[in-house]
Amino acid sequence: MTSASVELTNIWKRFPGGVTANAGANLRVEPGTVHAVLGENGAGKTTLMNVLAGVYRPEEGTVSLDGVPQSFASPAAAIAAGVVMVHQEFRLIPSFTVTENVALGESPRLLVRNSLEQQVGDLAERFGLHTEPGKQVWQLSMGERQRVEILKALWRDARVLILDEPTAVLTPQEATELGRIVAAMAADGRSIIFISHKLDEVTEFCDEATVLRGGATVAASLPVAELDKSRLAELMVGEATEVSIRRTRTTDVGDPLLEIRDLSMRDVHGVVTVDDVSLSVAAGEIVGIAGVAGNGQRPLADAIAGLAPIESGSIAVRDLDITPASPQARVDAGLAYVPEDRLGVGLAPRLNVIENAILRSYKSLTKGPFIDADAAEQMCEVLVDDYNVKVGQLDAPMAGLSGGNLQRLLVGRELAGRPSVVVAAQPTRGLDVQGVAAIQDILVEQSRTGTGVLLISEDLDELLALSDRLLVMHEGRVVAEFDPDAVTRAQVGEAMAGAVE
Amino acid sequence: MKRTSRMLLILLAVLAMMAAACGSDDEAEAGGSEGTEAPGGTEAPSEGGEGASDAKAAFIMVAPIGDAGWNFMHNEGRLGAEEATGVETAYVDSIPEGSAEFDNAVQQFIDDGYNIIITTSFNYMDATEQFATDNPDVVFEHISGFKMNDTNFGNTFGRMYQPRYIAGMAAAAASETNRIGYVAAFAIPEVIRGINAFTLGAQAVNPDIEVEVVWTSTWFDPGVEGNAAQALIDNGADVLTMHQDSTATGEVATEAGATFIGYHSDMSAQVDAYLTAPVWDFTPRYTEILSSAAAGNFTPESFWGGIADGIVDIAIPDGSPVAAEMKEVRESIINGEFDVFEGEIIAQDGSAITDADGNLVVDLQDSFGNDIGAVGDALNDGILLGMSFFVEGVIGSAEG
Amino acid sequence: MRLRLERRDRPLRGGQVRAFVVGVLIAFAVGAVLLVLSGHNPFEVYQKMLDSSFGSWRGLSTTLTQAVPLGLAGLAVAVAGSMGLWNIGAEGQIVAGAIGAAWVARLGPDLAGPLLIPLMLIAAVAAGGVYALGPALARSRLGVNEIITTLMLNEVAIRIVRYLQNGPWKDPTANNFPVTPELPAQAALPDLFERSNIGLLIAAAVILGFGVYTARSAWGYELRVAGSSADAARYAGISLKAKIFTVLVLSGAIAGLAGGIELTGSSSRLVEGVGGGYGYAGIIVAALALMRPSGVAAVAVAFGAVQVGGLAIQTTGVPASIANTLQALILFGALAAGVFGNYRVVRTAAAAPAGATA
Repeated sequence: MTSASVELTNIWKRFPGGVTANAGANLRVEPGTVHAVLGENGAGKTTLMNVLAGVYRPEEGTVSLDGVPQSFASPAAAIAAGVVMVHQEFRLIPSFTVTENVALGESPRLLVRNSLEQQVGDLAERFGLHTEPGKQVWQLSMGERQRVEILKALWRDARVLILDEPTAVLTPQEATELGRIVAAMAADGRSIIFISHKLDEVTEFCDEATVLRGGATVAASLPVAELDKSRLAELMVGEATEVSIRRTRTTDVGDPLLEIRDLSMRDVHGVVTVDDVSLSVAAGEIVGIAGVAGNGQRPLADAIAGLAPIESGSIAVRDLDITPASPQARVDAGLAYVPEDRLGVGLAPRLNVIENAILRSYKSLTKGPFIDADAAEQMCEVLVDDYNVKVGQLDAPMAGLSGGNLQRLLVGRELAGRPSVVVAAQPTRGLDVQGVAAIQDILVEQSRTGTGVLLISEDLDELLALSDRLLVMHEGRVVAEFDPDAVTRAQVGEAMAGAVE
Repeated sequence: MKRTSRMLLILLAVLAMMAAACGSDDEAEAGGSEGTEAPGGTEAPSEGGEGASDAKAAFIMVAPIGDAGWNFMHNEGRLGAEEATGVETAYVDSIPEGSAEFDNAVQQFIDDGYNIIITTSFNYMDATEQFATDNPDVVFEHISGFKMNDTNFGNTFGRMYQPRYIAGMAAAAASETNRIGYVAAFAIPEVIRGINAFTLGAQAVNPDIEVEVVWTSTWFDPGVEGNAAQALIDNGADVLTMHQDSTATGEVATEAGATFIGYHSDMSAQVDAYLTAPVWDFTPRYTEILSSAAAGNFTPESFWGGIADGIVDIAIPDGSPVAAEMKEVRESIINGEFDVFEGEIIAQDGSAITDADGNLVVDLQDSFGNDIGAVGDALNDGILLGMSFFVEGVIGSAEG
Repeated sequence: MRLRLERRDRPLRGGQVRAFVVGVLIAFAVGAVLLVLSGHNPFEVYQKMLDSSFGSWRGLSTTLTQAVPLGLAGLAVAVAGSMGLWNIGAEGQIVAGAIGAAWVARLGPDLAGPLLIPLMLIAAVAAGGVYALGPALARSRLGVNEIITTLMLNEVAIRIVRYLQNGPWKDPTANNFPVTPELPAQAALPDLFERSNIGLLIAAAVILGFGVYTARSAWGYELRVAGSSADAARYAGISLKAKIFTVLVLSGAIAGLAGGIELTGSSSRLVEGVGGGYGYAGIIVAALALMRPSGVAAVAVAFGAVQVGGLAIQTTGVPASIANTLQALILFGALAAGVFGNYRVVRTAAAAPAGATA
């Protein structure tokens, strides 16, 4: 048996703060193949790829290329060994031409511009990368820029190309084009590692797939041709673990509190992110939204909170149309939002605990132009007590708190305004067991008081346990609705994979 | 590797911020090119001279002393006067005009017992006047301005037009294209006077000489000065001179194979194409101020000295075909037989300004329209100080 | 083994002040070596620095006079900085403020002092604000980086003065020298004590007032939220665009006031150098105050003392080059201490085998 072009064995990588990103991850990529690396957010894909690309050094485990053990001290060393990563954020200089970007760092040769342009053009031609070597990068579309990144890798004669969610910024046509390019590179004997959430692409473009979950490899080098999408989805979300709490479902559902009609959105690149979504959340109800990351859940939540522009549709809270309203007006209308990025959106990292506690209510705590410091502190203390936030000093910066305590403070603050509707995005992600339970309890408790909860999560167990109704999003659309008591994980997985229409 | 470089970046950013703050001091008006370490301020009082007394003199300068320019010549004068009189001296440089820092520096010197204060940049004038009023026991001398009082505040400047005339003679003798380029800062009487004197001197050697003027509107900006000099070369000049504070014109002249006539000081060490230069020498004047102030008999005056007083001069280049004539003119200026602006003067447009006796044939006004001379008047200092016209043979506008 | 900086979970509390002291002491020690090498007695030099800046009423008033423009410029930078904006254009805004004040003096040279001076200062504030209008609009509307726009306008302001003194505002009585006319005598700020004028009171009121206001008001709170995270600010319903615009204009207006006070306090006419480098020094003041307006006053006085002391030792024969190096060392020590208040140095073992290090 020939040696694999890439072999990562038993990789462990821990970060300060106790996060273990890779816990015994393995990956084996054969020469001349396209290999998918799949996993949910936080599964350890990016860390593992950064280990391979020389950005991180693992505490344990080995990296081999073509059977030769490697120890990359830097990304430059990895590039020299033929491993090049094409990042999601392109690293191109807009005012330079394609040729200049491709050959950057080899300046002496830049002097012979014409022959260099010829060479870059030839290389592009060989792999079917349509590009104009003399054009400046700022004039190019996102798809063209990605091709320049790939050209850069090929120019350095990369034997292993890592494409990190390459289709995230592409139109469907460009994505199809990318599939052809990837195939051409594989046919040339190169190995391509394809990181993606989109199962369609995986089945379409890739030869083999490795699935990561919780930092470890749960399925290695599966032949994609023999798999279906729902099986991949199941592998990603995992088997049913112990059910933490199974709440009594709400039987008598009250009036609809949150109503979304025909909502559509596009991202800054013009790609559709939310596609004609309608849903409603009634008083006392918890509506769950499941889906593989990147299928429109996050823009949907931001749109409800007024943090992202929408293309069409309407959003109403308690029959009040808040579509054009400011974020503050939405809060006043009874909406609370627990954002996915708790530190940075929901909380201001450099401000202290008191200052964060009053983020929603500081306007009502004023005496003249000044904030009543006593009232603010008092309010913060109540919050800290009620929600059991463990904090040293109230005037210490927020960033010093642990994830669970951050989230308790954030959720508590959002609920303090007695909202009608709570939108909670990934509220328990990254928390320890107690933290998860605490937040779940708070949300359930809140729904019992008549609040409507829209729960967006990647944790299928959590959704099945808490939701009264479970919606599944795929490619920006709500593709299925389930009764959590009468559905199997496999059925949900299929819907997440887009197998149900 | 990455982390170290990030640390370095932070340090660099901090340094850059400080450099920006400190560097701004140097952006003030003048300032020779940077270079040699500034000599220490206080020198031990030397023996000899009138010595004695408790006189101490302080000098305030606008920019670093540098190695050839205006501030350098003042420092030379300070050292020379200290040597000659035995009066202790000190200086501070890089003091911006119109700033609290100037006030702080002067006050500090006064508090430290300095009783002679010499301020060497034009915009120090008002503040110096104020200090003179507030400190009647301290002698103040301001260089290049025009204010004074009756007791303790005088001003000093030099008739640079005299050596400029002789420089014009050397330039004319060195030119084959009959065209001389003149890089000039601002269209003010001091500069215009110099251009006219230079042109008259050049025409005394070769009546066909033309002097082309380019205004830079800056005292010190090597880039602008260099561009102006290049434009003059491109227009056919083969000799360049200037009224600026950098040596950029000389560098362009060297590169173009032209001849350069400097200003301020002997620039032969800096510029290959250097021929000669009208220069300042403040030593005699500072010696006079220090010794009279130390002796308690300082009398304020508006001192406007010439070659005879030693405050301005020019070295006669031995190799010049007109060296003998230049020596002769210099001698006759010193002994008063010759005046640069004597005799008939024709304006740029061909009209007469003065007749053969040196008396005005037209009424003259300065650039503000103030009357400075009427028909029949001699071409006196008042007219020179307001001079706003070019003489025949100058190409360019006297309005800047 | 290698060293790297790791952000502290929370800044050193009392340690911040301690770090400053240590940083400055190290700077003095290094400076002492430098002084000995150049033939000066460091004790005498440092004694002189202290005496001249704090040792007498006159020294104190000199220090405070120096602290006025430093403090206002520092406040201008810090107000913007507490929102994460960089106003590098305080220098130009100071000049603009001085132009505005000089313009009022031109229009009403015969007005009585108590009327003329306030009008001049109001004009200075307005001119500084107007001068920051372009960068404020560009940043808030178009997202154009304010560092570049404000920085570039510094040079423009100086060119405007140059134009005025060579052209429309040229003083007809100045023997044709290119200067603007002298200000009317009653335009000078009244004296307070020794070398200080009432500009000190105005500046102190503004700096301390803003310090309290930004620290305690809802407005200042919104600034800090936006400075900590723009997303958090939008989440909290704070209008970022309006805030950015207001803050940059306000920053310019404060710097403009510094220009007005410099003109009416220390200068007898508008000259190119009226900015005096205070706008750039203000960046250091603000950085030392950790971008907190409430910390600006103390830093400005300390910085002023360093400048006054640095000048004073020159008058005793320490060359300007050494004196400036000494000042820079002290500032560097203090700034570096600020870094170590927020970061700590940790040792990390190099994971890669020695041979593999690129």
